[in-house]
Amino acid sequence: VAVLVFLAAALVLAPACDREPDDRNASSAPPGVSENEILIGSSLALTGHAKYLGIQTLRGLRAYINYINDMGGVFGRKVRLIAYDDAYHPPRCLANTQRFLVQDQVFALSCYVGTPTTVKVLPLIRQAGIPLVGMFTGANALREPFMPNLVNVRASYYQETRSAVRHLVESLGLSRIAVFYQYDAYGFDGLTGTELALRQLGLTPVARGSYIRGTTDIQEGLDRIMASRAEAVVMIGTYEPCAGFIRQAREQGFDPVFYAVSFVGAEELARRVADQEGARVLMSQVVPPPHAFLGSGAFSVVDEYDVLLDHYFPGDTPNSVGLEGFINAKVLVEGLRRAGRNLTRESFLEGIDSIASYPLGRDLELSFGPADHQGLENVYFTRLSGRTFTLIRDFKGLGPEDLRNTGSASP
Amino acid sequence: MRLKTMGLRNKIFFSIVGVILFISAAIALLARGILIKSLTEELTQRGVAIAQSLAEQARGPILDKNVPELVALVFDAAELGDRKHLIDYIFITDDHGEMLAHTFIRPYPEDLTRANLLEATRMRAISETTVFDRPVYDIAVPVTEGIYRIGSVHVGFNKGHIDQLVAKLRITFLGFISLIVVIIFLITLKLTSYITRPLRRLTRLADEISRGNFDLPMEMKALSGGYQLQECPAYRNTDMPCWHFDQARGENTPSRTVPENQPQCRECRFYRRPEQGDEMDQLADSFYNMLWSIKLYRRRLGESEEKYRSMFDSGPDPIFVVGTNTMAILDANPRAAEVYGFDNRDQLIGVSFLELDPDFNEEFFTRYEEAVSEFPTYSYSKLVHYTRDKSPFFVNLNACPISYMGRQAVIIAATDVTETMEKEAQLIQASKMKTLGEMSAGVAHEINQPLNAIKIGSDYLNMMTKSGKEIPAQSMLKVTDEMGVQVERATEIINTLRAFGRKADLTQERCNINKSIQDVLTLAGHQLKHADLRMELDLDEGLPPILAHDNRLQQVLFNLVTNAGDAISQRQDTPPGGHVITIRTFARDGQVVVQIADTGVGIPEKARGKVFEPFYTTKETGQGMGLGLSITYGIVKDYGGDIRIISDENQGTTFILTFPAIKEDR
Repeated sequence: VAVLVFLAAALVLAPACDREPDDRNASSAPPGVSENEILIGSSLALTGHAKYLGIQTLRGLRAYINYINDMGGVFGRKVRLIAYDDAYHPPRCLANTQRFLVQDQVFALSCYVGTPTTVKVLPLIRQAGIPLVGMFTGANALREPFMPNLVNVRASYYQETRSAVRHLVESLGLSRIAVFYQYDAYGFDGLTGTELALRQLGLTPVARGSYIRGTTDIQEGLDRIMASRAEAVVMIGTYEPCAGFIRQAREQGFDPVFYAVSFVGAEELARRVADQEGARVLMSQVVPPPHAFLGSGAFSVVDEYDVLLDHYFPGDTPNSVGLEGFINAKVLVEGLRRAGRNLTRESFLEGIDSIASYPLGRDLELSFGPADHQGLENVYFTRLSGRTFTLIRDFKGLGPEDLRNTGSASP
Repeated sequence: MRLKTMGLRNKIFFSIVGVILFISAAIALLARGILIKSLTEELTQRGVAIAQSLAEQARGPILDKNVPELVALVFDAAELGDRKHLIDYIFITDDHGEMLAHTFIRPYPEDLTRANLLEATRMRAISETTVFDRPVYDIAVPVTEGIYRIGSVHVGFNKGHIDQLVAKLRITFLGFISLIVVIIFLITLKLTSYITRPLRRLTRLADEISRGNFDLPMEMKALSGGYQLQECPAYRNTDMPCWHFDQARGENTPSRTVPENQPQCRECRFYRRPEQGDEMDQLADSFYNMLWSIKLYRRRLGESEEKYRSMFDSGPDPIFVVGTNTMAILDANPRAAEVYGFDNRDQLIGVSFLELDPDFNEEFFTRYEEAVSEFPTYSYSKLVHYTRDKSPFFVNLNACPISYMGRQAVIIAATDVTETMEKEAQLIQASKMKTLGEMSAGVAHEINQPLNAIKIGSDYLNMMTKSGKEIPAQSMLKVTDEMGVQVERATEIINTLRAFGRKADLTQERCNINKSIQDVLTLAGHQLKHADLRMELDLDEGLPPILAHDNRLQQVLFNLVTNAGDAISQRQDTPPGGHVITIRTFARDGQVVVQIADTGVGIPEKARGKVFEPFYTTKETGQGMGLGLSITYGIVKDYGGDIRIISDENQGTTFILTFPAIKEDR
């Protein structure tokens, strides 16, 4: 009997010998880090229909990185930024990211722009274990499930749309809300956030209209939404189609409250619909709107951004997109600092995790934790006023009609 | 050696378990090979399918030189579903083998694009290679535009993952086999004890039986269906055969058919037909039957033994068991002790049989040697035995050799025939007296002659004396001599007569048959003297003696001679040479032969077999009892002799008597 048991055990245990060795993260010396250089990669839209977002983000990023480099770098290492253009095109973003990993062998990635692009590279980033700090997207896919090497800075689309829906419904008293979205991961994310927020209030979108990324063909979506006689339209897209949507809607006599999420790009949208007298356009921001805080002394980071942008990119106007890139850069650099001289990806991520209550200005601070990789929770609301978006400090006493663009900037 | 001493249970158990383990190991090895091979094949097929589908999709981007599209394509393909575990990498090269797109996230081996070169004509190539120290199956398929190749897609299958799948399968499979082994192990355990339990039980039972314990144990009682032995008719009555056992046994002995009037059991309650159940049950049934049969026949044997024992013990004749080499009596029945004058049987045992029968040894063994291969029963008649106090008596012996307690022995049954012999002697005597009566005329005539001579002599002497004449001395001497001779002659006749009439002793004496013939002729000669009858004697003077009684021989001879005379007198005609009775004696081959031939009527052929039967006679009623030749035959046989007849009707009859001669060298 003993022999039998032994044999059975041997038969069962025998195959346990050949186990797959897992050495994917075995590299000890971190790539992209040398004696005097830290390589950071960034893939963003520098051309194409979303190029404004990429260019501004990159400028914000560069402004701060250049400043740090000029100050001597981090522990003597200059931060060298490599930026590739993906034209808001996911395959290109993927190819760029792979190039960062394989050819450039960067230490970390930063300032990716766009939901579909970033979501596309997520598996790659997860697999490579490379830190990605600060994405110009509020997609839920970047937040859940939690990924240790993914560091979000800004609030999510869910947070934005939830706030927006609350304000639309509770503050402005609107209930017929439609959604206009980009037919991709970004648009779906915003749609989902909006629907979740509406459901909390016992509502559903009265209509859903969409357009294809990279096109400006919005008429079909517009028709659907117009037919629903929506009082408000939540727009989850890029500035060009969104501006087209507002313009065509108003041309066709459809005049709801338009709400756009932060990704639309406030300044560019404002520029494109500035001629729309009386249009009611709301927009949420996840960083302090620069024009509202600039020079007020209230937000040091805005001022810092303003100064450095002016220094490194003279003639450019501070904007919320660039500010977000700037803040991302600050988080990146702070993480590098906190990682210490012995920089590894692990120590870098630990450094990020250790950032708590990092002040960006009055009432604005960054906080991370081992299980919290989103630094900011703030959502700001602005409304189109003249050629710019102005901060709505308080929705109290505000009616839908008060949102109309009177053509002059209100304070 | 250990195997031999191992119990059946262990033998079965270990051999089954061994075989199962062997088969399991063989299956496991075989299945392992098949599994790995087929799984690897299946997965590479899948890899080929993936690569081919990718090649289709990659055609456009390759032509457009749209590298990002290709990158997205390969990543999408690699990340789809559970493929990411299986696919280690995918890359696409152009027709020069230059890397266009791949799924590596760190620098890949330079030579990878050349690790699995796809020959120009081949539609697929599979080779094993190593990437980042991981074993990989590189599967390459071409991307074609029309018939020309514009690139190739390589899918790297993670061999480790395949191996993991194989290992998982193997564990499942081995687990299953182990389960089967365990189940079979348990079944075997159960089976072996099921097989061996009844065997052990039967062994125990057989041991009990060999120790003589025939009582059915409880378990066997259960088998018998609760019937009592006494319910079996064959058990109660040993005369009744058990048809179930005897019939089966007696198939080749046709004499054992069931008599019509014999009661039989329609159905035996005890006999179990071993037809139902498995072999073990059948064995138990057979064993039960055997036990039952043993019980039945043991009882029958016991009864038979008792029967023969009582026959032996209470038999009217003495029976001995005598060892052949020592001649010592090994066993004897009470009657033997009684007849031979012993107080009890135990005194007899150990006594040499030769004390009872001094002549037995030689006689017996002579015949024993001669007849050992023939019918092994020997009879001896009228042997002289001696009782304990040496008084003789006559017995008939029957001997038959047996094996007694491992020794060669003979069973000797002795029948006391003394009384019979005395009766016989009386009969012979009576017959003799009759013969004597028949002789009396002749005898009277014979005696008369000397008496007449004496009368003449005495008359002469009387006349001479009365006349006062001087009797001359010469005449006186002559007359007295003559008278003396005549008296002598008369005395001789009388003596012969007396000897004839005397009742014979039981013991035999040496006799010269010539003398007996002479004596008979002395007494009976007158009767045979008529005109045309001659006596011719041809007696061999050197005849050896025989062991017999003289007067009985004379009786035999007288009978035969008077018969011959009668036969002649019955004949009407006279043969040319006149009637003659010829008596010849001679010795031949240790035998003494007497021929008595006549020229009488002869004996008809149909009567020839009957002449020696008692009370058979051809004479008219009142002339004879028909006992003459019968007694003659008995006497001759008594002396170990023989009597034959040669007869031709109307030509005469010849009686040939043969007697064993006494061996002179004795």
